[in-house]
Amino acid sequence: MLTLILKRILMALPVLFLVATLSFCLIRVVPGGPFDADKNLPDEIVANLKAKYNLDKPLPEQYVLYMQRLGRGDLGVSYKYVSRTVNDILLDAFPVSLVLGGLALALAVLVGVPLGAVAALGRGRWQDTLAMFLSTFGISVPGFVIGALFIYVFGIQLRILPVGLWESPWHMILPAITLAFSPAAYLARLTRASALEIVQKDWVRTAQAKGLSGSATVLKHIMRNSLVPVITVLGPLTAILITGSFVVEYIYAIPGMGRFFITAVMNRDYDLILGTTLIFAVLLIMANTFVDIAYQILDPRMRISD
Amino acid sequence: MLPLPYIYLLQIAIKIRTPLISRRFFSIFLVLVCTASMLTGCGQGRARYTPDTLRVNIGNEPPGLDWHTATDSTSFDVVSNIMVGLTQYTPDVKCKPSCAKSWDISPDGRTYTFHLRDDVKWSDGKPVTAYDFEYAWTRLLSPETAASYAFFLYDVENAKEWNAGKLKDAARLGIKAVDAQTFRVTLKKPAAYFIYLTAFCASFPMRRDVVQKYGNRWTEAGNMVTNGPFTLQKWQHEYKIELAANPDFFEGAPGVKLIRMFMVPEQSTAFALYENDELDFIDNRSFATPDVERYRESPEYKNFPLLRESYLAFNVKKKPFDNVLVRRAFAMAIDKNVFPKILRRGERPADSFIPPALAGSAKDSGMPFDPDLAKRVLAQAGYKTGAEVPAIDLLYPNREDVRLIVEATQDQLKRNLGVRVNLVNQEWKVYLATVRKDAPPLFRNSWGADFPDPETFMNLFTSYNGNNDTKWSSPAYDALIETAEAERDPVKRADMYRRADRIMCREACAIVPAFLATQNIMVKPWVKGIAMNPLDLQFFKTVTVK
Amino acid sequence: MASQGSFKYVAGRLAKIPQAVLALTLIGLICLVAIASALQLPLSPYAYDQTSTLYLAGPSAQHWMGTDELGRDLCARVIYGAQLSIAIGLTTAGVAFVIGTVYGAIAGYCGGKIDTLMMRGVDLAYSLPDLLVMILIGVLIGRGTFGILLALGLVSWMGTARLTRAQFLQLKNEEFVEAARAQGQDHLSIIWKHLFPNALGPIIVALTFTVPSAILSESTLSFIGLGLSPPACSWGTLASDGWRSLRAHPHLIFFPSLFIFATVLSFNFLGDGLRDALDPRTRLSKLK
Repeated sequence: MLTLILKRILMALPVLFLVATLSFCLIRVVPGGPFDADKNLPDEIVANLKAKYNLDKPLPEQYVLYMQRLGRGDLGVSYKYVSRTVNDILLDAFPVSLVLGGLALALAVLVGVPLGAVAALGRGRWQDTLAMFLSTFGISVPGFVIGALFIYVFGIQLRILPVGLWESPWHMILPAITLAFSPAAYLARLTRASALEIVQKDWVRTAQAKGLSGSATVLKHIMRNSLVPVITVLGPLTAILITGSFVVEYIYAIPGMGRFFITAVMNRDYDLILGTTLIFAVLLIMANTFVDIAYQILDPRMRISD
Repeated sequence: MLPLPYIYLLQIAIKIRTPLISRRFFSIFLVLVCTASMLTGCGQGRARYTPDTLRVNIGNEPPGLDWHTATDSTSFDVVSNIMVGLTQYTPDVKCKPSCAKSWDISPDGRTYTFHLRDDVKWSDGKPVTAYDFEYAWTRLLSPETAASYAFFLYDVENAKEWNAGKLKDAARLGIKAVDAQTFRVTLKKPAAYFIYLTAFCASFPMRRDVVQKYGNRWTEAGNMVTNGPFTLQKWQHEYKIELAANPDFFEGAPGVKLIRMFMVPEQSTAFALYENDELDFIDNRSFATPDVERYRESPEYKNFPLLRESYLAFNVKKKPFDNVLVRRAFAMAIDKNVFPKILRRGERPADSFIPPALAGSAKDSGMPFDPDLAKRVLAQAGYKTGAEVPAIDLLYPNREDVRLIVEATQDQLKRNLGVRVNLVNQEWKVYLATVRKDAPPLFRNSWGADFPDPETFMNLFTSYNGNNDTKWSSPAYDALIETAEAERDPVKRADMYRRADRIMCREACAIVPAFLATQNIMVKPWVKGIAMNPLDLQFFKTVTVK
Repeated sequence: MASQGSFKYVAGRLAKIPQAVLALTLIGLICLVAIASALQLPLSPYAYDQTSTLYLAGPSAQHWMGTDELGRDLCARVIYGAQLSIAIGLTTAGVAFVIGTVYGAIAGYCGGKIDTLMMRGVDLAYSLPDLLVMILIGVLIGRGTFGILLALGLVSWMGTARLTRAQFLQLKNEEFVEAARAQGQDHLSIIWKHLFPNALGPIIVALTFTVPSAILSESTLSFIGLGLSPPACSWGTLASDGWRSLRAHPHLIFFPSLFIFATVLSFNFLGDGLRDALDPRTRLSKLK
C-alpha cells in the first residue's frame, strides 16, 4: 500500500505538469484578455499593464517564466485583485471550502447511502417509492432553486436559520444541506442500483433460499459489495465538493474557493485560473488514490495496477 | 427544524436495522439537529440594529483599494469613504472645496493653482501636503504603476507622453507642489471640466512613505494610511470590510462609529438579509427585479436616475447600416417606453444621449418613435418591406438585464418594421474582444459618467475615442466637441453639446439612446442622512443610525 | 442465453414492468411534443416567442402557465423548450456513453500499466476547467445549440469511464469470466458477451442520471450566463431565468421545474426497468 501511495505521488507530478501546460494553452487560445473591460483603455495603458505582468513577452517565454515560478511554489499574482497573490487568495479561501465541502460530503454519504440501501432492501415497497421520489427531487431541481427555497422557508418565513453569510456554525447548515442535496440523491440511486445487482448474485440467492436473507452477515456482505461503484464516484465527488460549488457559495455569500473557478475564468485572470485548476487537480488525485486504497480493502481480489 | 422529508427518512433508517448505521448514531444526530434548531430559534429576540453601526452590502470583493489601480465602482465606494481629494462632490454633483480651500484658474484656462487647508491630517497624524498630491499624481501617471485610470489626467501637460514611456523626465509633467500648501497643475489645453476630475478617487493624494514601506500590501488593514471620514479597520477578503470612524476628520467625526460592508454577490440573498434586519441599507446590488416590484410602495424604497445610459449602436461601416436612412428607420421603430415595462426597475426612457441631469440635454435630440414613418423611410432606403432587409445579427453579452433589452429590441423591430433580428450571445470577455476588434452591425452598449459633465458622454463618439465602436466619424462633431471642451461660458458650452448630441443621434443616427439606468435603494427607518447622487458614489459620512 | 441481448427479448421483458412502460410512455410523449415543436406544428394557440402586453400574468384559462416578463405565453415556451432539453439530455448521455464505456472498458479489461496511464488521462480531463473547455468550444463551433450539446458531452464522459472501469475490474475475476477464458474465447467476445452485459446495469443507471444532469448543467450554464442564445430556450434556461421570481411570480419557476422533474423521474424508472430486463436472473413475475 505504501508503494501504491508513493507511485501515485510520482505519477501525479507529470499529470500536474500536463494539467498546467494544457490549461496554460487553453486560456491563451480563448479570446478576450484580462484587461478588456466595459470601457476600452487607451493603448498606452494596456501596454503598461501588459509589461507589468510580463504579458508582452512571447508566449513560450511566458510559459517558461510561469513554470519556473510554479517550481518555486509561487502560483503568481491576480490581475483582478490587484495587490494579492494567488497563494494569498487560495490560502484564505481554502479552509472555508474545506469545512463546507467536508460537511456536505459527510451529509451526502450519511443520507444518500442509507437511503439507497433502504430502497434496495425494500424494493417495490413504499420505502423504495418514497426514497426514489426524494432522490428524483434532489437531482431534478437545480441547486439555485433549492437554495432560494431554503432561504425563503427557513430564513424568511420561519426565521430559524440565517439566510446567508459565514459567521457561526448555524450559518453552515443551509449551505451544507443545499450542497449535499444532489450528491446525496445521486449516491442513493447508485447505492440502490448496485445493491440490487448484488442481491441477484448466486451466493445471495443461496442464502435467501436457506432463509438467511435478513441476517446481519448477509446484509453486511451485500452492502460491502455494492459499495464499489459508490466509492468510485466518491473520488471526483470529494474534489468537486471541496473545491466548492460556485452556486452555493454565490447564493449564501460564503468566502470560499468555488467562486474563483467561475469568476477567474470570466475575468481571464490567468494565474488565478491556473492556480485553482492545479489545486483541483491535486485534490482529485489525492481523492482517487484514497479510493483505490479503499477498493483494495473492500475487495482484495481487485489488484489495481500493482 | 430539518426539512420534513429528511426527518421522515431518518425514521425509516432507524426502523430498519442495517449493519452500517446504528440506531444510536441517528438518535444522537436527531437530538443534535433539534437542539441546533431550537438554539437558532432563540435568536429571534435580538435587537433589529446596533446604534451607530451601519451595515451595507457592496456586492463583491473590491478588486483593490489602491485608488490608482482600482477601476470599478465597488472599490470606489470604499475609497470614497476613507479618502478625500482636492475637491468633493455635493449631493447635486457640483464641486465644493475639500483639501483645497480655494483655487485660481489662469486667464488662458490652462493653469490651476490649488491652495490647501493646513488642518487636514492623515490617519497617522501627519498633515496632508501638496507633496502628497504631487507624488500621487506622478505615481498615477507612471508607466510602472500601469494604472487603468491614468487617462483621467491625460489633460495634464506631457502626461500622456510620460505615461506611454516616451518622455523620461517626470519634472516636465505639468504637476508641481510649489510649497506644502500650494499645488499647481498645468494643462496642455483648456478643459472646462477639469475641476470635476479633482473630486474623483483617481486624483486623491497618497503617502510615498507608506507605499514604499509596505509595497503591494499597503492597502491591507493596519498598513493603510488615509485622510477621510473613516479608516480601514478590518478587511476579510471576499467577505467583509469594516470601516471605523476617524474622530480627527477635519470636517468633524462622521455620524456612525462603524460601517460593516458585506460582500453578498447574489441579489435575492442580500435582499433577504435586509428583510431579516441584517442589513440597514441596500441598493441595486442587493435588489433583484421581482423584489423591486414587491416593495415599490414601501416608504423605505426610493428610486432615482443615474448618469448611466444604455443605447443601441450601429456599426456604420457594415451593411445595411452604412445607409443613414436604414439607421433612421430602425431608430424610429423602437419604442423606448417598452424598456422600463420589461426591466421593471423604474428606468427612464432616453430622448437624447446627454442625460437630463446634465447641461446640453434636450428632449428632441434623438429620434421620436414613429413606426409608420419608419416604414416609409425604410422604403426610401430601397427596402419595400422589412422582410427584404437581410436578417440582422444582434450581438450581446449574456447577462440577465441585457438579455431582456435585446429580446425586447428584437421583438420591437419585428413588430414595427418587420425586420428579422438574430440574437447572438457571447461570454462577456469574448463579447468585449469581438466588439473591440470587429463590431457587429447592431449591438447594445451602455456608458456611465466618470464625472458630472456632458463631456464624459460626448467625447465617446469623437473619431479619436478608443471606445467609439460605431466607426462613425464626423469632422463637424469632432470640432464642436473640441471647442466645447475649451469654452468657459456655461451657456454657450451647453449649447454646443446640444448641437453635437443632435448631430449624432438625429442627423447621423449613429446610436439609438434607449434608457437611463436607475438606482433603487431601501433604507431602514432607523437610518437617517443617506445622501445619494446620480454618479452612484456612496458617501456615508452624514449617515446616522439611531 | 444467446438471445438474451436481443432487442426483442429485452423489449418483451420490459413490457412486463408497469413502471417502465409508464415511464417509456411519458418519455415518448415528451419526445413527440419535442419533435412536433421542431416541425413547428401549432401545439399551443401562441407562438413561442410571440409577445403580448400581458406581462408576468399568472396562470389563467388563456395562458395555462401564465406569461413571462416579455409577455410571452409560458406554455408555448415550455413546449418549445422540450425540444432542446431532450436534445441536450440525450446527446450528452450518448456522447458520455460512447466515449466513457469504450475508454473505461479498455482500461478496466487491460489493467496494469495501461489502466494506470488511462486513469491518469481521466484525471487530466477532469482537472481541465469545464468552463474553459466550454467557452473554447463555444468560440470554435459557435455558441449555437450544437456547440452547447457537444461541450456538455465532452465534459461529462469521465464519470462513465471510471464507473465502467471499476465494474470491469471487479467482474473480470468472476468465475464466469474465468470460465469463458478457459474456453478460449477471444478478448473481444469476452468483453462484449460477458463483461459488458454484466457491467451494464450500473452504467445505464448512471446514464439515466446523465440525461437529467445534462439538462441541469445547461441550466447552471444559463445561471452563470453561458447558456443558449435567446429566444431559444430549454427547461433549464427557463428555470434559471425564473428562479429569482420564486416569491413574486412562482409560476415562472414552477412549470419548467415540474417538467424537468417528470422527465427525470421517467428516466429513472426506465433505467430501472432496463436493468431488470437486461438481467436474465431477474424473475419478472416476482416484481410488482
